[in-house]
Amino acid sequence: MAAVGDEDATLVARLREGEERAFEEAVAGLYPAMLAVARGYVRTRSVAEEVVQEAWLGVLKGLERFEGRSTLRTWVLRIVANIARDRAVREARSQPFSSFEPEGDEPAVEPERFFRADEPYPGGWRSFPTDWQTLPESRLLARETLDLVTSAIDGLPEGQRTVITLRDVMGFGADEVCEALGISEVNQRVLLHRARMRVRTRLERHLDG
Amino acid sequence: MAEPTRLQRDYTCQEVVGLASEYLEGAMTTEQMTAFEMHLNFCDGCFTFLDQVRTTVGMAHALPEEEIPDEIKAELRQAFNDWKGE
Repeated sequence: MAAVGDEDATLVARLREGEERAFEEAVAGLYPAMLAVARGYVRTRSVAEEVVQEAWLGVLKGLERFEGRSTLRTWVLRIVANIARDRAVREARSQPFSSFEPEGDEPAVEPERFFRADEPYPGGWRSFPTDWQTLPESRLLARETLDLVTSAIDGLPEGQRTVITLRDVMGFGADEVCEALGISEVNQRVLLHRARMRVRTRLERHLDG
Repeated sequence: MAEPTRLQRDYTCQEVVGLASEYLEGAMTTEQMTAFEMHLNFCDGCFTFLDQVRTTVGMAHALPEEEIPDEIKAELRQAFNDWKGE
């Protein structure tokens, strides 16, 4: 687990003193991740926004008791996850599903891309993926391509979307994500893998097409 | 193409793509990693595939951060000031 930095301690002290500027910094730094966590549990974005609002009240109330056992952001995200979980339970008409429990099997790449067991190279590529390094960088970083990545991530199942957003978009570590969401390392990795594979497939269709 | 060595046959390409994140996350045993890397050394398709996955991760990281709507910022500031006044 990451050690709690001086930065956290300083920010917490400023918040406790009621410094508005510190609060604005905290919001700017934490809000996107908080929303990503909330969206992993509740159905709509507007409910997720309400969850985050409620979580901030919890954060402010709990600030006195923040001991720095985990990083500030992990602590905050756990508060969001708890509130979002309660909200999901209240809203669910039947048994609430857990979006962080990977279900069934999901092939990383369409099985048709590989030779079948009764063919010469079972499990080998029928034709190799294309080398994106040969594409001009302007193509990869084109607005259109980045928009496609955004929409691909947005269209993922909730759990996958939350994990890839925290890990790959925002750069959280695996241990932080597991701690914030209260999920196992394996589940975290499976969700991340599935998310990356789906986004890669979308990119491949776009770039090869 | 050369006759596949025993290690090469340890993972098929289909298995390699299924294990890509396990490899990138450092979640493999030494034996698994050796077999995985051996496969990559011989297989252009999987080497390219893994590069695509890395590029995908890099692009996700390059996405611009979403703006927080002013309305939400104002509501939060209000909540903070209420809390301060308590």
